[in-house]
Amino acid sequence: MARIRVLFESGEPERVIEFDPAKAPFQHDGRPGSILDVLLANGIALEHACGGNCACTTCHVIVKQGGKALTPNEEEEDDLLDKAPGLTPTSRLGCQAVVTDPNAEITIVVPRYTINQISGAHG
Amino acid sequence: MVEREARLVRVVEHAPDTRSLFLRLPPGERLEFRPGQFISCLLPVGEKPPLIRPYSMASTPEDEELELCLNLVPGGPGSRYLLGLTPGAAIRLTGPWGTFVLDRAPDAEAVFIADGTGIAPIRPMIRRALATAAHPVVLLHGSDGVPLYGRELTALAGSHRLLRVDHVAGARLQDEVVRRWIDADDDRSRHFWICGVGVIVRTLRDLLRRGGYERRAVQYEKW
Repeated sequence: MARIRVLFESGEPERVIEFDPAKAPFQHDGRPGSILDVLLANGIALEHACGGNCACTTCHVIVKQGGKALTPNEEEEDDLLDKAPGLTPTSRLGCQAVVTDPNAEITIVVPRYTINQISGAHG
Repeated sequence: MVEREARLVRVVEHAPDTRSLFLRLPPGERLEFRPGQFISCLLPVGEKPPLIRPYSMASTPEDEELELCLNLVPGGPGSRYLLGLTPGAAIRLTGPWGTFVLDRAPDAEAVFIADGTGIAPIRPMIRRALATAAHPVVLLHGSDGVPLYGRELTALAGSHRLLRVDHVAGARLQDEVVRRWIDADDDRSRHFWICGVGVIVRTLRDLLRRGGYERRAVQYEKW
């Protein structure tokens, strides 16, 4: 079984999710087997304003451990992450990062804020 | 995440499967957004509602009503639901969202490339660009039928000396981009905003970036 440990910057208690990547998809949003897919199916309402289609940055997560067990970033994901608040070298979009390793041990942090929802000065 | 409830106030048909939905928020409420952004509609559809579907604003932030322009996606439950609504219907939404935006014209030529309904977020971007532009603003719109907002945008070009609007067949977009902005000159100072459905968006992005434009000068939104 793969395992994702989810830490919340907001201070909510951490969660540990065990799952079998071969059984993806677990629900209908994000890439099948993605961090978003796994979290939503396990009761963690990770934001995904675009429906999990790699069109916003609201599902931004920071991978603390086990990043190699995820599919690599594609150009589209990197272009969006460019604009994500609080970007780190191990940032990923939850809708795009798919867990492939059946024995993955991954730790992620869900950032506190989502300032994708912004109004510019000209609003 | 603030959830709002808008009312559908009218529907305008552009083509048999393409319509604009005009939404109004409750009195006193206003959606402050940046040209190019979208809202997420929370639709009572499917086995585990809500179904979240993003739709770009085709209206400007200054307009009283929010305009969403969409076409019926074959097998798409979101567009089927929305296009089945009649005036008076309530629509739950969050937003604005998205980073495909234009706050002011760049200090260089601004080029907008739209494929079909991809014109929706670009329409308010062009308005904003014209309000702040000192350099040319160009729209290349690929369509297979009558271009959406074609008459309006052509008329706009007639009244703004900096704006040029060209409509081409969707299948010609790629060749036109190469001809105009890669082969024609060595100027790589232009900024691009590309929007459309599917692979054409990536194709155009790659052509321009590999053709010498800075990565961040080529913004895009792929539906």
